[in-house]
Amino acid sequence: MITKLIDVTTIPGIHWYPNGQTALSGIPLMLASALDRLFQSWAAQYDAKEYQFPPFIPAHELARLDYFRSFPHLVTFPITLDPGEANLSRFAEGEPMNAAGELQLTIPSPISNVMTPAACYHCYVRHQGETMHAPTYLTTRATCFRRESVYAPLERQWSFSMREIVCIGTADEVKAFLKHFQQHIDEFFQQLRLPIEWKAANDPFFNPSHNPKYLAQKLDPVKTEMVFQNHLAIGSINFHRNYFGEAFGIRRDGKEAFTGCVAFGIERWLFACLAQFGTEYALWPAPFRQGA
Amino acid sequence: MKQASEIRQTIRAWVEQTSGKLQPGELQDTTPILEQRIVSSLQIIDMILMLEALAERPIDVADLKPGAFKDIETICQTFMGGPSR
Repeated sequence: MITKLIDVTTIPGIHWYPNGQTALSGIPLMLASALDRLFQSWAAQYDAKEYQFPPFIPAHELARLDYFRSFPHLVTFPITLDPGEANLSRFAEGEPMNAAGELQLTIPSPISNVMTPAACYHCYVRHQGETMHAPTYLTTRATCFRRESVYAPLERQWSFSMREIVCIGTADEVKAFLKHFQQHIDEFFQQLRLPIEWKAANDPFFNPSHNPKYLAQKLDPVKTEMVFQNHLAIGSINFHRNYFGEAFGIRRDGKEAFTGCVAFGIERWLFACLAQFGTEYALWPAPFRQGA
Repeated sequence: MKQASEIRQTIRAWVEQTSGKLQPGELQDTTPILEQRIVSSLQIIDMILMLEALAERPIDVADLKPGAFKDIETICQTFMGGPSR
């Protein structure tokens, strides 16, 4: 259940759409941009290479991760019409939309892409089949799409922004990377008196009691979330073991590479900071404003 | 029920056979079998069934705690009642 800490829809510059998306402008946009610059500065500590990936990810790549069995409830597909002229004419000349605002599609084209559900997936797809001769650090920001049963502005959206910092390396290299970031971010929270607790978490598997991956995560936790006021996970630290290395044939030190990532939900950070520091830009702590 | 040392050897042999990607002598009793994905998530249910047969009692999945399957040493202590070799 989502309980409101603040009503962000009353803040100028935040416009909420009922379909689970938010438009930002003015100070909220400036602060969201500053947050991302802060995360980029953290990525720079590891000289992480910046990537900009497209919004679609090929479905066959996600299938390697068993994504469609694990997360069918979250996935969003880009869909187009079959390009046959008769089909297009039937759509255009019929009633493209009904009274409920639902499109009445004629024959759709086969669907072979997915709207990006997590920013870091692109990194493993991009480097598939490679042998790494040193630990590799990457960072990217992506608009991600996850279908949910309930949406709330900034807190839980159909589309949202995620910044990730990724390490591909040996198990020890990845663990050291994640340990560094947990300590660094924890010091940051304490310095700013942002009430965050670290909590072990599982990925939101479909039908978890019947999914052995859920049981595996329960027995060997791989996700630790940054939870604001016992209310909202604003980011997470994830140790994937060699799951992506195996799925995408990435090797390091003669073995399947291990990977890990630090993920920041930008809208959720914005929510936490607005709830904690208010809407007066000048009252936000300096580290948040430096990039603005 | 089998002797503790026999049980430990049975578990070790099962892990080695199931994994299929270990070098001889690579698996130690303290090797993290889930973290290194020597036993995959899909194989965990089979491992539980194997342990139930060895322990001659059911294992309630709902009661399993993080770390219970960390390595062979921990499995022996958790499900077979001791570290005997």
